[in-house]
Amino acid sequence: MPFDTGDTGASETMLAWKFLERGRVAPFGGHVWPAPGTGAPGPWIQPPGGEVFACRLSDLPWWVNAELWEVELEGPIRMLPTQIAGRRGRLVRRVNGWDDVALRAYGVACAERARDLAVSLFLREGRTADADALRQTRSPLELHRVAQELATDATTPGTATAGYVGASAYRAAEGAGAAAARHAADAAMAADGTPGVLEREIEWQSRWIVERAGLGVATVAAV
Amino acid sequence: MSKVRPQELACKELVELLTEFLDGALEESVRTQVEQHLVWCPGCTEYLRQFRATIGATRKLAEEDLPQRVRENLLHAFRHWRHGS
Repeated sequence: MPFDTGDTGASETMLAWKFLERGRVAPFGGHVWPAPGTGAPGPWIQPPGGEVFACRLSDLPWWVNAELWEVELEGPIRMLPTQIAGRRGRLVRRVNGWDDVALRAYGVACAERARDLAVSLFLREGRTADADALRQTRSPLELHRVAQELATDATTPGTATAGYVGASAYRAAEGAGAAAARHAADAAMAADGTPGVLEREIEWQSRWIVERAGLGVATVAAV
Repeated sequence: MSKVRPQELACKELVELLTEFLDGALEESVRTQVEQHLVWCPGCTEYLRQFRATIGATRKLAEEDLPQRVRENLLHAFRHWRHGS
């Protein structure tokens, strides 16, 4: 009887998620993924000498892009820290809940979360006027401007965090959700140096994407 | 995110890795770092796009397509670069 290697062989398949650029373009390879047919998945893609990479729901914030697709991976499946890999993969369906509007809203939500962190730090530092100035901003660009003004010196946790808030808000105003989220995570780390802060931030970002894209609890359990 | 991601790449480091990245010659963990950087960095994404476009354009050139003078200048530049001068 053969030893169990943990490799379930080529018949192993798994549903996962994959971010692509507009037009089903692979962000790093530059090739276009073939679209699914009506009610049927697209053709299998097997990179020569490589693998197809995709996300579990918890991986999504690391790879945010314009389009989100449900993909089927065929094994052997490898679990990596921020993604999963399969021998080949194919597009199953586009997630309609994730589009340019959602991408932009994601960036704004991340910037606002970072702003709230900076506000609470300023209040703790006794800088009520600065906290109010941040709180009263009405748009990402205004948030960017005010945060940058408050971040002229990074001498306190509040001002250091405000610098990242400014960067996050600027990217949010551009509609660059991934960059806004990245700077928001920077803000969280500047605000709170305790272990696990990045993981908590990524978890929050993942929940936001899952809810906005309508990926649902049942799918979370399956993936 | 430097505190919790000590292995995160700076733009300058990424630029030096691009040739190996495009050749598929990077170790998996380094390739992942490059890709995660590209997800959020518009400057490096644009640099990668230009790099690809340059490769695509030069691939169409044959050695004899280069004027003699350009060829000599390039060879001169490469020789000096190799010797570190």
